[in-house]
Amino acid sequence: MNAPLSSLRRPLPDGFLAALQTRCGAAVTTTQATLDHHGKDESWHGTAAPDVVVYPQSTQDVSDIVRLCASHCVPVIAFGAGTSLEGHVLAIQGGVCMDMTRMNRVCAIHVEDLDVTVEAGVTRKQLNRELHTSGLFFPIDPGADATLAGMAATRASGTNAVRYGTMRENVLGLTAVLADASIVTTGGRARKSSAGYDLTRLLVGSEGTLGIITELTVKLYPQPEAIAAAVCAFPSVDAAVRTVIQTIQIGVPIARCELLDALTIAAVNRHSKLSLREAPMLFCEFHGTKAGVAEQSKMVQDIAREHGGMDFEWATLQEERSRLWQARHDAYPACLQLRPGSRAVATDVCVPISRLAECIAATNEDIARASMPIALFGHVGDGNFHLVILVDPENSADLEEGQAVNTRVVMRALEMNGTCTGEHGIGFGKMDFLEMELGSALPAMRAIKRALDPQNILNPGKVVLPDEPCRMA
Amino acid sequence: MSFVSFVVNAFYLNQKPVQHTVDQFAQVIRKARARKQPLRIRGGGTKDFYGGELTGDVLDTKTYSGIVEYEPTELVITARAGTPIAEIEAAMRERGQMLGFEPPHFGDSSTLGGCIAAGLSGPRRPHAGSARDLVLGVRMLDGKGSDLRFGGQVMKNVAGYDVSRLMVGSMGTLGMLLEVSMKALPIPASETTLCRENSPGEAIELMNDFAGKPLPITATCYVENRLYIRLSGAEPAVRAALGKLGGEEVRDGRAFWKQVRDHQLDFFRADQVLWRISLKSTSPPLPLPGTQLLEWNGALRWLDSDAEASVIRDAATRLGGHATLFRARNKSAGVFHPLGPALLKLHRRLKGTFDPDGILNRGRMYSEF
Repeated sequence: MNAPLSSLRRPLPDGFLAALQTRCGAAVTTTQATLDHHGKDESWHGTAAPDVVVYPQSTQDVSDIVRLCASHCVPVIAFGAGTSLEGHVLAIQGGVCMDMTRMNRVCAIHVEDLDVTVEAGVTRKQLNRELHTSGLFFPIDPGADATLAGMAATRASGTNAVRYGTMRENVLGLTAVLADASIVTTGGRARKSSAGYDLTRLLVGSEGTLGIITELTVKLYPQPEAIAAAVCAFPSVDAAVRTVIQTIQIGVPIARCELLDALTIAAVNRHSKLSLREAPMLFCEFHGTKAGVAEQSKMVQDIAREHGGMDFEWATLQEERSRLWQARHDAYPACLQLRPGSRAVATDVCVPISRLAECIAATNEDIARASMPIALFGHVGDGNFHLVILVDPENSADLEEGQAVNTRVVMRALEMNGTCTGEHGIGFGKMDFLEMELGSALPAMRAIKRALDPQNILNPGKVVLPDEPCRMA
Repeated sequence: MSFVSFVVNAFYLNQKPVQHTVDQFAQVIRKARARKQPLRIRGGGTKDFYGGELTGDVLDTKTYSGIVEYEPTELVITARAGTPIAEIEAAMRERGQMLGFEPPHFGDSSTLGGCIAAGLSGPRRPHAGSARDLVLGVRMLDGKGSDLRFGGQVMKNVAGYDVSRLMVGSMGTLGMLLEVSMKALPIPASETTLCRENSPGEAIELMNDFAGKPLPITATCYVENRLYIRLSGAEPAVRAALGKLGGEEVRDGRAFWKQVRDHQLDFFRADQVLWRISLKSTSPPLPLPGTQLLEWNGALRWLDSDAEASVIRDAATRLGGHATLFRARNKSAGVFHPLGPALLKLHRRLKGTFDPDGILNRGRMYSEF
């Protein structure tokens, strides 16, 4: 499916490295271990190390580095926590990896305006720690402790999306460096996007291929007056899914609603030292006033019972709740431990809610037929679920089978008017699927890439391929 | 079909006009492109007053109308761009659902395409999401007449660039919308409106204070020294909040919010110079001549003022916001807040990508393209 990673590399032009070192000094490194660390993410895709890693400290640094890259036609890849799942940060054409983690200041918390401006490298947990005493929180929570700019660049979501939306709805504005090194500020703290086209939304989810996000302003939410979390075991995955669908359809404003199949529960129990019943489970959370939470949870408990669900087991103390959700967030690494030494092919389809039960049931047949362990879990409240297909990266038959399952699930979702990716993004692992999904709209996306990055230097080889190779400006 | 008959069809306002196919629209665009002849995309024409100059032959979208797919359990509705927004809302109301962004109508013939292209949202916007937040996918014809689909009908989709959201608010300058899929939200079980007298400063403080609390507020409006607050949700939650907020209950709250949404309050007049100023919600009252109406917890300020455009824009810029000349006879100051050079270049490139010959709604957004 993918060309050998090494075949696409462009060599660094003469004089480039020296010029970069002159501009950035000690912030430039070519140590092999550092290069290797920046050449991979959490996916099964191999390593494609950059030629050099640089740590900018300001938007101006980023702009200067991009200008240098543009004048030498060198690829430049923004790197946050390195937790993407489709090879987004792999330096498949070599070049400069720009590690944004030293830009990690929370610039300004505006408690009354319910927003915060942060630098690219601030992580979601760091942000919530800093918000701790403000009575506010930032809800978007992909499993990993990703950086905010990385989350924006991949349009990330998480367990709270069903109630609070994804990065798409929660980024108010951003500062980005474009391929010609210009610095643009889009949107802003005014709660309506700025004048003109919605460039914020265009950059959010562009995976570093249209611009490099250096600063962003995101929405914050008041801590709910009451929070209640519960787990509920079901006789089958189908029963749990039907409970969720009905909950969403009657408009219960549930804050989190996560499905974990029995295998995932087993993995989570082992990894996070829990003792949950090894059956398909829903993890639910309710936010609101005391009365609202009581009403919502009663409604969902009633629906669950209709579908054979057991009584809710409540996690009332905050520590219990944190433990529960940390366990859910760690489901991915927990599943990897089911087969030591394995890597995961992760699927990420999202289908219309009414087709979800059917889609998951058919997928469970694929799981039953597969020769390797496959865990299923996800944010079923918005029609999105994952398979973690555990493959031996050294075994080509295994990889092939894993990919075949992935393809089958994607094709099924597309037939149901769904998408190949609800939250992980395209990176370079899903480019073939994107082509299938978009069809005649793909050239329009290519044209956008070409218009904004005519030299193809920003994270080249991801999302869409340009129709012509890099040329000097 | 001749170009003229195509355009003339638009005049049958009260009966559903003869419908055209996507291919017919595409042909019109291709022909116009070949002749470098500008086209002006138009639905019900209720927002002709909004935006820059109107140039070119009318490309009437009312001849592409109807709900394509609406399965309430799906929480998604897909309709053609020329469908009257009132028709969509009526179909959804019957099933207990609504468009969360509470689109302004400005007239009976407002269409879905016009609402999305203008990207305007009504009073519920800060609480339920904007037009852009609720659009899930679009089908459109670009300036080359290519039939393109972006996004889809699922709640989350990160497959490639978010072009469907780029179309929202682009004033038809990037393409003609054909179909739009939107998230449907349940109509709240109960709703009530409170009113209290406050000074502008107090009102801004109160709105922001309330917004930071877990209260079921779904709209705020401050006009003529009175602060109106709408509460929506389950009956007990609304009742509980009533007690906390204080103020008188307004008898016909629904009518009031419709008047706010559609600019039918006395504050709004056809002959006024009306500015739409977006600011962060906590910005203090704007020290500008004229009268103001506030919405969205203070983040949206309507200003009826004859002050110089530069004075108003400077005041908005100083507070980190921007000002749109929403309604005026003389628009020589430009309708939308001017773009800096880097942003203007980016806009031109995007415009060039979708509409290389610049035939669609030329000058409707910025005179430069």
